[in-house]
Amino acid sequence: MATPQPLGSPVNGNGSGAATGDHDHDTPPTSLPPTPPPALALAPSSSTDLRSHLPDLALLFDLTPLPQLILSPSCAITRASARFLADWGVTVDQCVGRDLLSFLQAYLQPLGDPTGHIAASIDDAVSSRAVRTTKAIYRHASSWIARIIPVFKEDELLAIVTEWRESPVALADQELFKPGLSNDEAFRILVQAVKDYAIFLLDTNGRIATWNTGAELLKGYKRDEIIGQHFSVFYGKEDLDIGKPGMELEICLREGRVEDEGWRYKKDGTRFWANVTITAVYKDGVHVGFGKVTRDLSEHKSAESRLIRAYEESEKLKSDFLANMSHEIRTPMHGILSACSLLIDNPLSERQRDIVNIMDESGQVLLQVINDILDYSKLASGSFSITSDIVGVSSIVASVVRSVQATLPPAVHFELFLSPELPKSVQGDPLRYRQILQNIISNAAKFTEKGSIRVRATVQEEDEKSYLILTEVTDTGIGIPEHATASLFTPFTQYDITTTKRYKGTGLGLSIARSLAELMEGRIGYRPNPDRHGSIFWFTARFKKIKSLEQIKNWQQRGFNPDGSPLEVPSADAPARVSELADSASTKTLLLVEDNVINQKVMLGLLRSLGFKNTALASNGAEAVNMVCGKPAAYDLVLMDINMPILDGHEAATRIREHGIRVPIVAMTAYALKGDRERCLEHGMDDYIPKPVDKKNLIKTLARWLLETRDYRLPPIDVSADNSVIPTSDKVQPIVEVTDKQVGQDGDTPVIQ
Amino acid sequence: MPDFGDHVDNTIFSQILEMDESEADRDFSGPLVLNFFEQAIETFQKMEDALSEKDLNTLSSLGHFLKGSSATLGFNKIRDSCQVIQQYGHQLTVDGSTEPDENVCLQKITDALKAVKVDTKELDKAMKKFFEVTE
Repeated sequence: MATPQPLGSPVNGNGSGAATGDHDHDTPPTSLPPTPPPALALAPSSSTDLRSHLPDLALLFDLTPLPQLILSPSCAITRASARFLADWGVTVDQCVGRDLLSFLQAYLQPLGDPTGHIAASIDDAVSSRAVRTTKAIYRHASSWIARIIPVFKEDELLAIVTEWRESPVALADQELFKPGLSNDEAFRILVQAVKDYAIFLLDTNGRIATWNTGAELLKGYKRDEIIGQHFSVFYGKEDLDIGKPGMELEICLREGRVEDEGWRYKKDGTRFWANVTITAVYKDGVHVGFGKVTRDLSEHKSAESRLIRAYEESEKLKSDFLANMSHEIRTPMHGILSACSLLIDNPLSERQRDIVNIMDESGQVLLQVINDILDYSKLASGSFSITSDIVGVSSIVASVVRSVQATLPPAVHFELFLSPELPKSVQGDPLRYRQILQNIISNAAKFTEKGSIRVRATVQEEDEKSYLILTEVTDTGIGIPEHATASLFTPFTQYDITTTKRYKGTGLGLSIARSLAELMEGRIGYRPNPDRHGSIFWFTARFKKIKSLEQIKNWQQRGFNPDGSPLEVPSADAPARVSELADSASTKTLLLVEDNVINQKVMLGLLRSLGFKNTALASNGAEAVNMVCGKPAAYDLVLMDINMPILDGHEAATRIREHGIRVPIVAMTAYALKGDRERCLEHGMDDYIPKPVDKKNLIKTLARWLLETRDYRLPPIDVSADNSVIPTSDKVQPIVEVTDKQVGQDGDTPVIQ
Repeated sequence: MPDFGDHVDNTIFSQILEMDESEADRDFSGPLVLNFFEQAIETFQKMEDALSEKDLNTLSSLGHFLKGSSATLGFNKIRDSCQVIQQYGHQLTVDGSTEPDENVCLQKITDALKAVKVDTKELDKAMKKFFEVTE
């Protein structure tokens, strides 16, 4: 079907007979004169001198280069020219003597009956005594028409001469459906007529060889101005810079075809979103060029982006909703839990105690669920930020292990391996590191009934500026079936129904852990314990190196001031401070956390002497956590003893921070060891004073946090203008609510957690 | 203020005394010191019990506990003995190096407890005199 012409030149627009080269002959279409030449008039009886010079007329007829038949008046074939016999591939015997119509019926394709209109044409020619041309009839792959020439002597019909020639194909509608129309022609018409697709051919170098109506409409170029240009003229600068057109042809040659979606440019410089298919074209195994079909997907594309926008919008709304709801739920939840723990301290009957315990336990689970969802929704909406604090990896690992150890059955023991290469202090987010670790270790503890849980922290990579810390937790628990490993880190999945029933949780923990690890430029993963039944969960997190002590100091000042304002201001002299402090003391509420009654009394006395009349007391860390979380905005400052029964000061501070409460916490510790201050800071405390508490020291510290530091309940300075409705009095309602509304509004706002 | 010798850190103790609204009554520091001695005697009893059970952990935390309040009041001698008890309860010497022998630790604690009881009794007497409390 392909034309023999090179693709570099346009396909012959009106060529018709080209496809049937084997039937080509030199007959010009108009070789017959309008009237029969005198030589054809048969006048055998009358001879003259002149006539004697004529060649034998019969021979003349036989040798004429026209395919002719002579019919008797009754339409029997009486003579056939040699050319006719050759063109039709028949012998004299097969045609001469036969009726024309039956001859045609025998030699034509058995499609339809063309003889009707042939007979009609003959009748017409005879009755009108004029030459008539028949419609085309089809034989093999060609069509033929006949001129019917009736020969009369006066009124007597002597003969009918018919001259047959291959006809130019008539482009009448019905012609397309007739079997003789060449495929080429049909495709040419089709391609040319298509308006919705730009369809054209490129030569082997990518130059445009053909152009259809669709191409003209879509790209805006007229046929004459585009033929011969390189097809890269349709591409934008970005695509040209990366050599896309050439690349596409290369791929196309390799793969046979290539499909692309992208911007393409029209003649007027406007662009449209196109789907482009390029197909390599071969003729007889030789690559001759490319076929290119371009479709305008602009409508499609804009519908798609509308859909994506709607989806993203609804995702954000969902996350905001979750974050807000979680907050609305969390605040009263703290109230319920505080009330529960107060109730537990009362004399209760056994049955009452059971019930209160159930309330308490369920409340704790619910709170965990809410916290998970809150974290998850913040992570999902991208508004979760990583703070930059000082981190002691070893002490965090040790502390988490300690806290989980208490909950383990006796048949499980911990093995802790801290690589000696681990840096003492690094810069990063200690709470988030802790959160991941807590999650993984708690999981290990939950699913391990006997054997061991091994925690291993090592330096995986170290460069000039940072460490990549690898933390691995290996347990000998129930392990995870292979089919479930793929969805381990997917939100809201727990790998087993039976597990869900037995082990409560949201199924969010690991997905949160993964997001947190990614925020810390790390990864998280799982593999089965190779030694025995059980799991290995590992994660990496990148921490910055701390270059000098000075940096630690500077950085601490920066890091622990919620609004980023300088922590130290030029110190007023002591008496001035005392009176300044006394002025504001009566409006401040402090929480003193101290287990020793004597120390409680002395601290209360000290504080009273400075004018602080509203000081609440907690005698251990657990009480303190309940009190602070129960009234998240009630206290101006917490003074926290470190070594206490039930829950120590470090752990209490960590939990308060985990609830997102940024109240200043000042550690009071008798430890004077190097690194104690760092440990306090690691656990989320802001400052510390050595024990026994010296009055001057206390004044200085209280002044720093109560007078010189922006109230933690106020929104951060950079967005305060937008939050003018937030009251600044002590009666302000839970601060956590305030912080998260900001998160909802602006993902880039620093979170005060 | 009387001189309590090396029993008391005067700077700290005077801060306690300053919290009294009236020097005649001393109704803050008086009951406080009295409470401390009650707490000390209670703690010593617990220490004896723990010693008989060779419970080093409990001894250590009891040591820490009384160390806290004695330090707060500036009662340095008591504080130092408590520190010894706390350290050996952790199987550590006062310098912080490990003492693996449990019996050595128990012995050190027994000695320290004995000493702290004597010191406490002495100080109790001096304090009572100071606050003019009769037994």
